[in-house]
Amino acid sequence: MTEPVVAVDALSKHFGGVGAVEDLTFRVERGQVYGLLGPNGAGKTTTLRVLMGLERPSSGETRLFGTPVTPGCRELTRVGAMVEQAAFVPHLSGMLNLKLWWEAGGARMRDADLDGALAIAGLGDAIHRRVKTYSQGMKQRLGFARLLLARPELLVLDEPTNGLDPAEIREIRELIGRVSTQGATVLLSSHHLSEVEQVCSHVIVMNNGRLVADGTVHDLVGTAGSNYIEVDDRERARAVLAALPIVASVQAQGDGLVVELRDGQRSDLAAALVAAGLRVETLMATQRLEDAFLDLLATPSAAAPAGGAA
Amino acid sequence: MIALVRTEFTKAARRMRTLVIVVLLVGLPSLIVFAINEHHGRPERGGDQTDGLFRLATQSGLLVPAAVLVAMSGFLLVVIAGTFAGDSVAGDAGWGNLRYLLMRPVARGRLLIAKAFVAGVMIWAATILVALAGLVAGVLLFGSHAVVVPTTTFVDSGRVFGGFGLRTLTQTMLIERTVLATAYVAFGYTALLALGTLFSTFTDSAAGAIGATIGVYIVSEILDAITALGRVRYGFPTHYANAWTTMFTANHFSREMLIGVIVQAIYFVVAGGAALVVFRRKDIRS
Repeated sequence: MTEPVVAVDALSKHFGGVGAVEDLTFRVERGQVYGLLGPNGAGKTTTLRVLMGLERPSSGETRLFGTPVTPGCRELTRVGAMVEQAAFVPHLSGMLNLKLWWEAGGARMRDADLDGALAIAGLGDAIHRRVKTYSQGMKQRLGFARLLLARPELLVLDEPTNGLDPAEIREIRELIGRVSTQGATVLLSSHHLSEVEQVCSHVIVMNNGRLVADGTVHDLVGTAGSNYIEVDDRERARAVLAALPIVASVQAQGDGLVVELRDGQRSDLAAALVAAGLRVETLMATQRLEDAFLDLLATPSAAAPAGGAA
Repeated sequence: MIALVRTEFTKAARRMRTLVIVVLLVGLPSLIVFAINEHHGRPERGGDQTDGLFRLATQSGLLVPAAVLVAMSGFLLVVIAGTFAGDSVAGDAGWGNLRYLLMRPVARGRLLIAKAFVAGVMIWAATILVALAGLVAGVLLFGSHAVVVPTTTFVDSGRVFGGFGLRTLTQTMLIERTVLATAYVAFGYTALLALGTLFSTFTDSAAGAIGATIGVYIVSEILDAITALGRVRYGFPTHYANAWTTMFTANHFSREMLIGVIVQAIYFVVAGGAALVVFRRKDIRS
């Protein structure tokens, strides 16, 4: 059995008696693109900092590729991380920043994927300018170039699109998609729910330092299912659906029907309609990740703060 | 480790601040030499060993480095040494770059040693630059003659030395003693280096760490001037700072120089060790 790429076990982190993360457990398997969701102060960044060996856990353990994480452990060479914003030595050029950062790890520049990284940064001649002249977007792109120098097996990204304009956000999103299709595992912290929904296959929801939900995006969105359906015979479809035990309500909306599920899957609706000889033209979730996320945060257990005085 | 030192050195050397420091360190000694020349033969009343150095400096440019070191080691070089030491870790932390170095990953102990080493090299380079600038300006203005210095009877570490008379210091002797004095002055910032590095691990604010480092040095100088504190003063990092001047003013190698080296070494071990422990355990929040 292969070890998960990321394993977090009963992780707690307290600062002066205030709990930032409380009893957090999750796994990220190879090739998954995992979203780490939560409002500000949920403990996402602290979790990633502990995972990268920047902070020590108060209790519990984090492992990368099966090896317990300690500050500076060798497994970190297999990880490309951007924790909070990309940061550089401001009075040096982008190129020299990449070179010095790479060589600080004891490696030779010829072993780095510099061409690939520069192509991703897309900074052109600006790569030779001092970083303090860069926009936030340019710094983020240079940050991506830096973390890809080592062709990492795991990307750990903390709010990677913060401060970027829509075009840059799209670029970054496509980049994450490209890297993941090449086999890298991704752990992405964000509070841009649409970003997570578009990029991630799995999601962890945190609130007040605790795990609230862990599963596929599909599961999370699908469980409290509100669906929109268009068929060739709306009234007959309404009767068919209303008779199903998994359906809580059916209402007409525009040319179609809005169907609230009590339980079951969206695919059950499609099967029932097709079995009744109806032609299904549209079937989609009306609930987005945002709705599911807000529903989860509104539950009493999710709203409870993490252990205060530890 | 060599690569790490090279990267840290590149970061320090390519700052505008470093260029400004170089200009200051070359320019100020020249200014001091011209000031000495202006006051040639008109010494102020009173004074101590260091005033004697300024008077002697007009006799030979080979004595000017010592005079310049006296003039600059008590404040300007302290500020510069405090800047390099205090900025060592906190500078990177303030930029947010420290976390990326640690995630590279670079072992914390190695990183701290590399940063302290580079800060130390910069401090030594600054001190040597001051002496060299003084030497060049001094020789140009006053020539490179041998000098006659008075030898006096005085007490050093509880023992009586010397006798009244005169002694000629040849050019070779002056150069040798200048090298020794420069090394002693530079080594005299070892405590500052270690304390600055320690303070630098406490904070993400380079200005805060630099201020604290210089502040400790100034407080040490103030307390050292209070003779009522007695033997406690012998442990201050500044107490033996000028012990080297008698090499030029009284032809005497003070035993206090050796004690000064030992005091600096103790600070280095204690404060440097504390910096390592703090940095290895610290949560990086920058």
